[in-house]
This record gives sequence, structure tokens and C-alpha cells, in this order.
Amino acid sequence: MTTRPVRTVLSVMAVAIEVLLIIMVVGLTHGVLQESTKRLQGVGAEIMVQPQTTSLFMGFSGAPMPVQIADKLAEVEDVKAVTPVMVQASTEGGITLIYGIEPAGFDAVTGGFRFIEGHGLESPDDVLVDDVYAASRNLKLGQNIELLNQQFHLAGIVEHGKGARLFLRLDRLQDLMGSVGKASVFFVKLTDSKQVAAVLERMRQILPNYQLRDMQEYVSLMIAGNVPGLSNFITVIISLAVAIGLLVIFVTMYSTMVERTREIGILKSIGASKVYIFHLVLRESALLTVFGIGAGIGMSYAVRAVVGMFFPTLPILITPNWIARAGAIALVSSICGACYPAIRASQRDPIEALAYE
Amino acid sequence: MSDIIRVENLRKVYRLGKVEVAALRGVNLRVEEGEFVSLVGPSGCGKSTLLHVIGGLTPPTAGRVQLDGTDLNGLNDAQRTELRKQKIGFVFQRYNLLPTLTVYGNIALACHIAGNRNGASRAAMNSIVKMLGLEARLDHRPAELSGGEQQRVAIARAVVNRPKILLADEPTGSLDTENSELVMNMLQELNHKHGQTILLITHNPEVALYSDRIVSMRDGHILESGLPA
Repeated sequence: MTTRPVRTVLSVMAVAIEVLLIIMVVGLTHGVLQESTKRLQGVGAEIMVQPQTTSLFMGFSGAPMPVQIADKLAEVEDVKAVTPVMVQASTEGGITLIYGIEPAGFDAVTGGFRFIEGHGLESPDDVLVDDVYAASRNLKLGQNIELLNQQFHLAGIVEHGKGARLFLRLDRLQDLMGSVGKASVFFVKLTDSKQVAAVLERMRQILPNYQLRDMQEYVSLMIAGNVPGLSNFITVIISLAVAIGLLVIFVTMYSTMVERTREIGILKSIGASKVYIFHLVLRESALLTVFGIGAGIGMSYAVRAVVGMFFPTLPILITPNWIARAGAIALVSSICGACYPAIRASQRDPIEALAYE
Repeated sequence: MSDIIRVENLRKVYRLGKVEVAALRGVNLRVEEGEFVSLVGPSGCGKSTLLHVIGGLTPPTAGRVQLDGTDLNGLNDAQRTELRKQKIGFVFQRYNLLPTLTVYGNIALACHIAGNRNGASRAAMNSIVKMLGLEARLDHRPAELSGGEQQRVAIARAVVNRPKILLADEPTGSLDTENSELVMNMLQELNHKHGQTILLITHNPEVALYSDRIVSMRDGHILESGLPA
């Protein structure tokens, strides 16, 4: 390892990139999901009502429900407040959720925004953004923002954690999307949060064709495995990362073994068995991998810090569980990559090996 | 004394493509325990091949080799490796030290491979290092040593596990006269003081004089065997 420092460093870096890729891809997907979940919990509702065929992930299902449903829901016993929300995904500068809200009703459910600067949605062209979104785009109060091909006036910057990062008036968003009088979801606040099951049962009596969800249950479904295609995407990236690590270790150990043919002959002449030489090669590749894993973990934290500085809306969740998994995956792929060179080395004819120049 | 090496009608044929080359053509040789035997002969006469077959590095084509009562013909590759580990030490003309290890590392490696990692092996190592005058060079790498010192390290590595047989293939072939004498004196000391059985290949008649008996080879045959003149 020390006689060929450049090759050693490159091998360590390849393993580090393998680990980094795994931790980053998983960290990004889990981070974004966790962050969305937290914001949804921040709304403070106990129940949400959606159309029967809606996607688990809001913003992609349109707004097919009449807002009048809110009046029916508000009449149900133990319901404190109901607010209709239209959810729209904006793809400008990345996918960001916009909530179309009725300010008074939304405040009744959520407890209201905590304003860092500015005021609420007073005119139809006002927009509120949360502090994270404002920081990520360096937005200043009072400036114009283009959203959904329209200009909006930044009326206020609010503390993050109330469902979306941008908020428009419900009627303005309905107009823009051609869905006047419609909503994507109703958030329901109860007088007693222990009554969720009972209230859900009452609501099902009056709205049998809608999806009525316990908010806690919904949050528990917000995992990567429930996002269509996401698990496959993660699997593909992990497979690519494994292929990189496996090939680099294979090439490194194979070229090392060719270079050290004579040393293998020496070891055999002093009694080293095939198993001894096989283990020797595997131990060396394992050592390279351990250094690579360490470097990969360090790089992951460094990349997260850099991403956090430049893209604050992209949370990366690094968990001990996935660090351990990425390390194990790298170790297994390296050992697989080193197996063939190790077998070749162990089977070298000692006399031919001793004569190798 | 009993025979520690017994070679009977040994034949070894190498295949080079479609051509067969007979390196050994019916060799018979006996070496007694504690004997120091030199094997002399011109290049290509089969000396090194004989040493490799006796050392279990390559199997014979025909004939028998017995080492300390064990017939090599009955052993598979793993068993031959085990026998080599326990009973044979090799010394080569080109020293064959591992360049990345220190003197200590090279000698300790032989202990490690033999599975001797306890105090006894440390004591054996200290004793052999002292005998070969390597105490001050333990932390040096082979590239920092003279040829004579490297060969002494190779001898130390070969005998540290107290093998019954030491096989030396032209151990002075790369050394000047002074270092050759030094190395041969050490081999002789090992033989006289510790009863180490040594089978040594050499081109140099002066080197052969250090042994108890000289065996001449030509064209894959043993020609004669006798006491040094």
C-alpha cells in the first residue's frame, strides 16, 4: 500500500465516492421526505381529507374537491376548525409546494404564522414565503417574485414549518389553476386530539367517497418505500456505487498481485499456504476499504455542510443506520472485487513466481 | 545416522509448449541428518530443479522423494506446503527478501507463517539474529543493507523456525569473496553447532569445500559423490 501511494489514494477515494454516493442519495431522499413530514405535522391538524384516488404526495393530484365540504366537516361533533387548502407544485428552481390558503381558516387550524418580517396575505397578489426559502433565494420583503408565470409581491417572511414554503390566497391560486371553488385537501383541527378515531367514523358517515386520514397515520406512510419509483432509483444508484467500488478494488488488487508475483513466490517458498495468501490479499483490500469508508463518511458530512450553505431547502439526513449500511455495502463489494485477484495469487506456481521479473 | 533426504530414481520433465525437457533423469541421492552436502555441476544440469522437488515447490514426474520419513508422492499441494513450512528452509541466490518489510519483519514473517507467535519464537529469533550479527540492522529495509547482510537475513529467515533441512540455491552467487566467506562460515557454524542439515548448490569449488560431501551432477544425473579434496 505504501509503495504505490497514488494507487492507494485513488483506491481509497473510489471507495469513499461509493460510500458518499450511497449516503448522499439515501440522505437526500430521506431528508426531503422527513422535512416534508415535519412541515406537514407543523400544520397542527389531526385529520386530513382528500379525494379517494389522490396520490400520497400532495401537489400532484390537482384540486377536485368543492370547498363547501369544509362547512359539512365543521358541523361534525368535536371538530374545532376546518380549512381548505389548494396544493400546487412549483417547478421554478426546484420542486416547491405552494399552499393556496384562506388566511383566517388556516390560522384557526395552525395557530397562525409567526412572522419574521412583513404581514399576512392582504391582497390577491401577495405571497408569503418561509425563512428557509427566503434565505435560499436571498429574497427581500417587498420585492416581486415570479411564480406560476405570474408576478407576486412578497408580503411576509414567516417561520418555516407550516406545510409549504410558499403561501398564496386560495382564491388567487384557484383562479390561476382554473379550479374556482375547489381544494386539494382539508385540514381538520379537533377540540380533543384523543377523539380522532371517533371523529373519523362520524365523517365517514357523511363523506363516504373521500379519503379521511388520521394525520399520524398519514405521516407514518411518508417513507421512501411508498414513493413510486424512489426505491428503484435508490437501488440503481447503490448498484452503480457498488460497481464502481468493486471494479476499482478488482483492478487495484489485480495489478498489485501482478506486480508482487515474486513476493508471492517468496511467501510460498517459506511455507505460506494458498489460504494464507488468499487472506493476505483480502486483508489488504479490506484495509483499503476501511480507509475509504472513513473518508466517505467524512466527505458526506462535508458535502452536507456545503449543500446546506448553498441549497438550504435541500435537507440531507445522515443516519448511523445508513452509514453502517453504506460501510457494509462497500466492504462486501470490495471483498468481492478482491476475490478473483486473491484466488489467482494463491494459485500461482511458486517456481514461476520466484522467476518473475 | 539416518537419511533425512532420500531421493530414488527421480525424474522431472518440463513441458515447454509441445517440447518436453527432461531436467532430472533418474536421480538417486541420500543425505544424512546433520550432513552438509554441496551439489555442483554446470548450469542447466538440474541442480535447482532437484532442490525445488526436494523442497516440495514442484512435484516430480516420476520417482520418490522422502523427507524425514515422509514420502512427498503421497502428499497433495497443501500437505507439501505444510511439510515445507515445518521442515524446510530456503535460501536463494537473490536473497528474496520482501522489500517493504524491515529485517525484523522479514524474519518475523517466517515465524508468523509457521504459526510461531509466542515467546519461544522470539527467543529463537533473538538467538539467530545474534549469531548472524544482525542486531544493529533489525530496523533497516533490505535496500539499506549490503548483499552479504541481505543474505544473512535470508539465512536467519530460513532457519528461525528450526527446520530440519536447509536448502540453499547458490547462496554466495551474488556476493564478493569476503561476504561469501562470511556467509559460508555462518552456514558451517549452523551445521556444526546446531546440527543443521544443509543441501547447497554452488558453482564455486571453494564454496563446496565448506561441506562434508560434494555431489556432482551433469545432464540430469548424479555423476559422483565424495569428500571434499
